[in-house]
Amino acid sequence: MQIGLLCALIPLLPLLGFVINGVGFRRVPTGLVGGIATLAVLASFLIVVSLFMSFPAEGGPQIVPLFDWISVGDLHIPFSFQIDQLSLLMLLVVTGVGTLIHLYSIGYMHHDEGFGKFMAFLNLFIFFMLLLVMGANYVIMFIGWEGVGLCSYLLIGFWNKNVSYNNAARKAFVMNRIGDLGFLLGIFTIINTFGTVEYVDVFKQATSLPMGDTTVLVIALLLFVGAMGKSAQVPLYTWLPDAMAGPTPVSALIHAATMVTAGIYMVVRSNVLYTLAPQALEVVGIIAIITALLAASIGLLQNDIKKVLAYSTVSQLGYMFLGLSATAYTAGMFHVITHAFFKALLFLGAGSVIHAMSNEQDIRKMGGLRKALPVTFITFAIGTWAISGLPPFAGFFSKDEILAHVFEHSKVLWALGVLGSGLTSFYMFRLLFLTFFGEFRGTAEQKHHLHESPATMTIPLIILAILSAVGGALNLPGGGWLSHFLEPIFEGSRQVNPEAFAESTIEHSTEYVLMAVSAGVALLALIAAYVMYISRKAVPASDEADRSMPEQVIYNKYYVDELYEAAIVRPIRSMGDTFYSFGEFAVDGLVNGVAWLVKQSSAQLRRLQSGSIGFYVFAMVLSIVLIFALRFFIRF
Amino acid sequence: MFPIVLLSVFAVVLLFLGFLKSRSVLLPATLLFLVAALVANFLDWNKTYLYFNSMLRTDNLSMVFTAIVLLSSFLVVALSGSFEDDEAAQPAEYYAIILFSLVGAIMMIGYENLVMLFVGVEILSVAMYILTGSDKRNLRSNEAALKYFLMGAFATGIMLFGMALLYGASGSFTLAGIASYASHAQQGLSLIFYVGLLMLLVGLLFKVSAAPFHFWTPDVYDGAPTIFTAYMSTVVKTAGFAALLHLLAASFTYVYSFWGIILAVVTAITLIAGNVTAVYQNSFKRMMAYSSISHAGYLLIGLAALSAQSRQAIVFYSLAYSIATISAFGVLMLVTRQRGMQTLSSNPLSNESFDAFNGLAKQNPLLGLAMATSMLSLAGIPLTAGFWGKFYMFSTAVERGQIWLLVVAVLMSAVGIYYYFRVIIAMYFRDGATEPIRISPVFRYVLVAAIILTIGLGVAPGLLQGLF
Repeated sequence: MQIGLLCALIPLLPLLGFVINGVGFRRVPTGLVGGIATLAVLASFLIVVSLFMSFPAEGGPQIVPLFDWISVGDLHIPFSFQIDQLSLLMLLVVTGVGTLIHLYSIGYMHHDEGFGKFMAFLNLFIFFMLLLVMGANYVIMFIGWEGVGLCSYLLIGFWNKNVSYNNAARKAFVMNRIGDLGFLLGIFTIINTFGTVEYVDVFKQATSLPMGDTTVLVIALLLFVGAMGKSAQVPLYTWLPDAMAGPTPVSALIHAATMVTAGIYMVVRSNVLYTLAPQALEVVGIIAIITALLAASIGLLQNDIKKVLAYSTVSQLGYMFLGLSATAYTAGMFHVITHAFFKALLFLGAGSVIHAMSNEQDIRKMGGLRKALPVTFITFAIGTWAISGLPPFAGFFSKDEILAHVFEHSKVLWALGVLGSGLTSFYMFRLLFLTFFGEFRGTAEQKHHLHESPATMTIPLIILAILSAVGGALNLPGGGWLSHFLEPIFEGSRQVNPEAFAESTIEHSTEYVLMAVSAGVALLALIAAYVMYISRKAVPASDEADRSMPEQVIYNKYYVDELYEAAIVRPIRSMGDTFYSFGEFAVDGLVNGVAWLVKQSSAQLRRLQSGSIGFYVFAMVLSIVLIFALRFFIRF
Repeated sequence: MFPIVLLSVFAVVLLFLGFLKSRSVLLPATLLFLVAALVANFLDWNKTYLYFNSMLRTDNLSMVFTAIVLLSSFLVVALSGSFEDDEAAQPAEYYAIILFSLVGAIMMIGYENLVMLFVGVEILSVAMYILTGSDKRNLRSNEAALKYFLMGAFATGIMLFGMALLYGASGSFTLAGIASYASHAQQGLSLIFYVGLLMLLVGLLFKVSAAPFHFWTPDVYDGAPTIFTAYMSTVVKTAGFAALLHLLAASFTYVYSFWGIILAVVTAITLIAGNVTAVYQNSFKRMMAYSSISHAGYLLIGLAALSAQSRQAIVFYSLAYSIATISAFGVLMLVTRQRGMQTLSSNPLSNESFDAFNGLAKQNPLLGLAMATSMLSLAGIPLTAGFWGKFYMFSTAVERGQIWLLVVAVLMSAVGIYYYFRVIIAMYFRDGATEPIRISPVFRYVLVAAIILTIGLGVAPGLLQGLF
């Protein structure tokens, strides 16, 4: 089959699923809804796999033009897709993990009265995510970018009868909008500088620019503002923990595995621009390490099973950006993939726990669940092991690769990174121990109701657990498959800055020491968690308990939300009030005045339309005379 | 070329079909004929031919314009519903006249010789006089037809006089001959040439209802049966603009400095007169008449600027405008008929007023959506075809540096939003006594097609631009 048709089908199938389930909401039988939605994504996945198989190993990007979209003056924006190594990888992750999560949602959501709507939104999300990833220019990426934001909003506030959920959805939307503004300005600057938005053309032109070009720096920083919003980096990260209000499959799909990594995808896609602007990479690195540590430290004291995972996501996203800042683009992408596996696994596992606990999310009320939920327990444990960066699971390899590159770049960042990795290991094992070990601390009714989840939910868990376990094999240390596969993507960057891509100068012995150090720190954190929560059987204090000063600050998430409220939200609101009280008078008066004027002149002009032919002919003759006078007698 | 021959034959065939007892064959036959003409139109695609001793010409631009008028007539004929409500109607004659008038329209699009332009204008105009007065027992319809005829005859006289003067100055009726005469503009041209050009322009501006030659429009559009108002305001306008564009681009680019400023002033007056007067109307139909004047103004922007972009701007705008206008008139026809049956009052003023649309969308979501889409497109709101039409028009003015005209146009679009949104507000936010309206399948298809086209072109305007 033609490649163009195949490529068009990839996003169109989920869109079709959305249309069927969306238009037929309440009419499509519940039994079919899940099947249609899952099959749509599965079919896309199979097409992606076939494209991936037939893709030439070191081939350049294939541009698939669909139609001319916008032509304005000299600017032509075609609607076209770009198939290359990077987009294929992201496509595999999005459709693959997406299929598993759709399958899981059938078990998790089918009791919900809005089940059809939910599956339709999930399909719509996949559609937009595919546009984002496949687009051959920044404008299509932006459409996808906005579309996934919309779906995220709709799904966070899915249970829209709850006011605080709606507020969470709105918060996510507004914060993303701030980032989007940066992204949009970045696109405008790109148009202004290069006169095109097509990746291929932009990067080709960019390679001829000198290192440290100011315009490129501005573009890189503006694009990164967009990435900060979507990928929840400091200071625009507070929406992601709140986004956990959405159903758990949504958290797994959108707020862990796919959408939030869009920022990393964008930076990797634009790697030429970032390589050209080392200062921008410095900024990325600083923000990334702050995010990683801040989020990890908040995660230490959270008691909501999903909140812990949310902060861990923010922190892991920080690691990915940290890798990018050291021009370790491959390592960043590697961590995107492994993270998609184990974080989706952890969220789905958490969903399974919540399902069994009758919607209880507080880990202080859990404990000892490993006997009742054996599959969930084992898979969750694998996920925890993987995210903590302990060998031999996926997280170890991807995180170590990032840290090794960072070590070459800056020793301080490396040390902080290892510290964060220790924190990660601690809070994740704290979560695991509190949830699955010890005595059950919930009510008797909950205990009676405990059960393992149905097969539609456990099968995705098992598959993701296997992937989390062996995912590291994609890129083993010392030139793995992935770094070889992605090489053509970074051709432009290599051209403009050969040093950054030179063979690693670290000796193998140093590399092994680095690995041992980070694994050792993680192991120490594991032991600490074991001592605290298993040997001493500590249970986190209730919300009202007295806490020491630093503990209090961390428990309250550094009061960042309160700070934003006081420093930004309230001033803007009071400014709005001021403008309202002033503007109501002035602006309304102006507007109504103009409207009155137009209406009055309308009433006068209307009189010309008298209905008398004599007058009409007279007006015509008069006009002709005037035109002649204008042209022949009054020369100007 | 092929459409002219085909349509002439088909029209005669239709007249004979009128002898049949059954009326029901007429509508499908006419639609079939139009589709055949549309297909035949594209046979010469990507080729340029001159026919009949260089009297007519076909090229991609003329074929696209022809396609637009054929598509518009197709939609209008589909909405006519065989005139089954009206016992006194003579559908065979009406359809035949429509087909004949299309021949005139296509001649106006593809002429290479001023004589052909004149013949085309007359074929189209005479057909319109008849259709305007086709509701024979209705005084308003009769009055409108008579007015249209008198004013039209007057304008034709002026236009013919202009052609004669042009011939006198240049010694040629062909566009190429006139152009070669005009190319000596540096050495000075005869005064007769300029006078002739102005009179010819006035005649054509009358046909597209540009101010200050627009006075006939509200009375005629208001008085004619709604279905023919839809036909007039789309097909006649598109053909008129195609004729003007061809005339100015082919023959008079050398003397742009002479007529450019006049057209710009006429454009500004048209925009102001159309938009501002529309604000005060209480009848939807009359508002649409003024709206059509204002859209003539927007289309004139592209002519007054006459840049490289003008061609595609005018094509895109005509298409967007035609689709939106036809679907708006279609909904109006349904609403008027429903009100007429409900209140048993034939008072057209209340049946065609804005109030007739109150609460329409609640009981008739499809009608509401179709009308809302048309209004948004006419108002030029993004994600509809009308937005891009206005955008392309405005960019031609920018290219020419006519910023003052642009300011007028943008301000007047803001005024336009006022009266277009009145309908949307009435349909969605007012309470009214409308009941569900029965919509025949053909009607439904036309409205759905109009919605899809309007939004499709609004989302991906490049689809059409890639055509030529």
